[in-house]
Amino acid sequence: MTNSLAIEVLNLHRSFGNTKAVQGAKFDVKEGEIFSLLGPNGAGKTTTISMLSCLLHPDEGDARIMGYSIKDNPMGVKSVLGVVPQEIALYEDLSARENLTFWGKMYGLRGGALKKRVNEVLDVIDLHDRAKERVSKYSGGMKRRVNIGVALLHKPKVIYMDEPTVGIDPQSRRNILDSVVALKDQGMTVLYTTHYMEEAQELSDHIAIMDHGKMIANGTHDELVKLVGGQTRIDLTLNVEAGIVQEIWKNTDGVSQVSAENGLITVLVEDSNQALPLLFESATKHEARITSVDILEPNLEAVFLHLTGRALRD
Amino acid sequence: MISIFDIAIKDLMQLLRDFKTFMFLLLMPILFTLLFGYAFGGFGGGEGGDARLPVGFLNEDERWVSEALHDLLTDSEIIRLRENSSLSASALDLMVAEGELAAALIIPSGYGKEILSDKNARLIVIADTNTSAWKTIEAELLSITSRLDGAARTATIMDKYAGERIPFKYGFDQTLEAWQEPPISIVETTSSAVKETDDGIASLAHTSPGMMLQFAIAGLLTAASVIVTERKSRTLQRLLTTSVKRIHILLGHYLATFILIFTQFTTLILFGHFFLKINYLRVPEATFLVAFCSALCIAAIGLLIGVIAKDEEQAVSFSLIPMFVLSGLGGAWVPLEFTGETFRAIGHISPIAWAMDGFKNISVRGFGFDSVIIPAVVLTTYATVFFLLSLWRLNATEES
Repeated sequence: MTNSLAIEVLNLHRSFGNTKAVQGAKFDVKEGEIFSLLGPNGAGKTTTISMLSCLLHPDEGDARIMGYSIKDNPMGVKSVLGVVPQEIALYEDLSARENLTFWGKMYGLRGGALKKRVNEVLDVIDLHDRAKERVSKYSGGMKRRVNIGVALLHKPKVIYMDEPTVGIDPQSRRNILDSVVALKDQGMTVLYTTHYMEEAQELSDHIAIMDHGKMIANGTHDELVKLVGGQTRIDLTLNVEAGIVQEIWKNTDGVSQVSAENGLITVLVEDSNQALPLLFESATKHEARITSVDILEPNLEAVFLHLTGRALRD
Repeated sequence: MISIFDIAIKDLMQLLRDFKTFMFLLLMPILFTLLFGYAFGGFGGGEGGDARLPVGFLNEDERWVSEALHDLLTDSEIIRLRENSSLSASALDLMVAEGELAAALIIPSGYGKEILSDKNARLIVIADTNTSAWKTIEAELLSITSRLDGAARTATIMDKYAGERIPFKYGFDQTLEAWQEPPISIVETTSSAVKETDDGIASLAHTSPGMMLQFAIAGLLTAASVIVTERKSRTLQRLLTTSVKRIHILLGHYLATFILIFTQFTTLILFGHFFLKINYLRVPEATFLVAFCSALCIAAIGLLIGVIAKDEEQAVSFSLIPMFVLSGLGGAWVPLEFTGETFRAIGHISPIAWAMDGFKNISVRGFGFDSVIIPAVVLTTYATVFFLLSLWRLNATEES
């Protein structure tokens, strides 16, 4: 990692009709680091990535990718950029090798250099043995790997990965997370969007949290966790509607925040050992039985809850 | 620029791997051409068809000399007389204007008398003198009339000097026979006249271009699907994140569908020419120019539909409308020649009508290369407009 900036996002705004998809996004990504945009679906992550990929024009603001302005020099931006879209953007009736060869040509590779690079990428995504098979016959995880492989063909300096682990099995997910770290080791700058808190936590040097189009926090994992003041999160379920119990818990000593969604009550507390007996006691008083308890040490989920009053999972 | 060809090659690889596309683009049109050709009068347009140029004939003279001219014309290997005593000169004029006849010949009253009086006798000919068909007919008429005139003059001379020993009519007949080898030779005797069946119903000569265009315009669904599939699979968005320009992406897809449709035309033209004996290759450069411009136009319409349609369902419904409207209006189902003047004019809003004109000018009407220039220009103009609209729409939609 160097101190030079690979990505500078300068107050980006973008609306679709009356919907403000991105409102004043602003962050810097240093060369060689992994930077995660964390937020729930609809937070504005993909719109931000689309603007940084020159697919969408910002209504306001600008961004520079390796010094190229997305407004003034989109071709310059595209030349240093590899994009892994959220969806599998491949030709299903072509084989992995044919896909990689085609996309290599689109990135300007030709002849021997193209052939060599395609073979290298097939090694990286570990699909050499099945390179001649049509992509339509691949599993979801294999398709994801080819999807990532395409973005690596021209050895971009910056790579965007938009939720690359959505809808795949745990083993493929593990492979992808490992490959993201490998890209960093090769000196690439990775802008990674996800709504999985654990992924952001595991991979990122820096994390920005987005919600409703706004950047609500930005920093290292430790810096963000400090925002919740070391509070512990307790997830509980009851055998009755949360209603009255939720209101009672809000006024319980040591409880700073209570929220409920889809039957799951999330409580932020200073000390779980002290607060839990009080929560059980008040539930019993109101003839409610606690059916499950999950205690979580301070993490990004808690940060999101602290900042928005809602859980990140949705 | 080279990315245009890469995209086109990729598209063609994808399309040719789909057996349904192959079936629809090549096998189905051949089968339907045969089926409809048979339904519209069998294969009488083949070896048994009359390939001579259709020339209307009206004899207003009652002299035996005019009858002799009629007999000479009837025996012509270039001209096929279409005689109908109920047709007036103005009706013949209209039929020539509408391309039903390559020309019309009227023997005016007194023609025979003037010939026999050694005067400069004149025939009335109605024709579009800009066509190559007219040049062929003109040469044949000159040849026949020279032969007739020469016979009359020789017989007159013989009658003058030996009239008592040789009757004039005998001299005339002998001279006419002697002039079987006329002083004017015809260089080009190839004719491409209407190959019509006895009952006058349009046969394969009409069915083939109509069916060819009907299926070619179905190719716009293929063109539209290419773009819609590209968008649905998100590969279009991915392409837009590379350094390839939008216009090159569009041109790549356009080139692929153009190649596919033009190949379809070529196959059907060759099939029609060699198997159905339709005279497509009489002026091959003209026929292929029409096919080229038609393919350009159809691919561009398909491209526009693909850019407008949001999903496959829309692509299908947006394609079916122009497919039916343009081919119906353009005379691919029922020849515009059989419709009224107003419908014919409206029909020419459809590019299919221009394509039909182009093909039939060569294969049916016996016209030359010049006759396809206007249809080719119109089709290319349509293609340009549709392509530019597609580009504008792509820029607008992918941004929003």
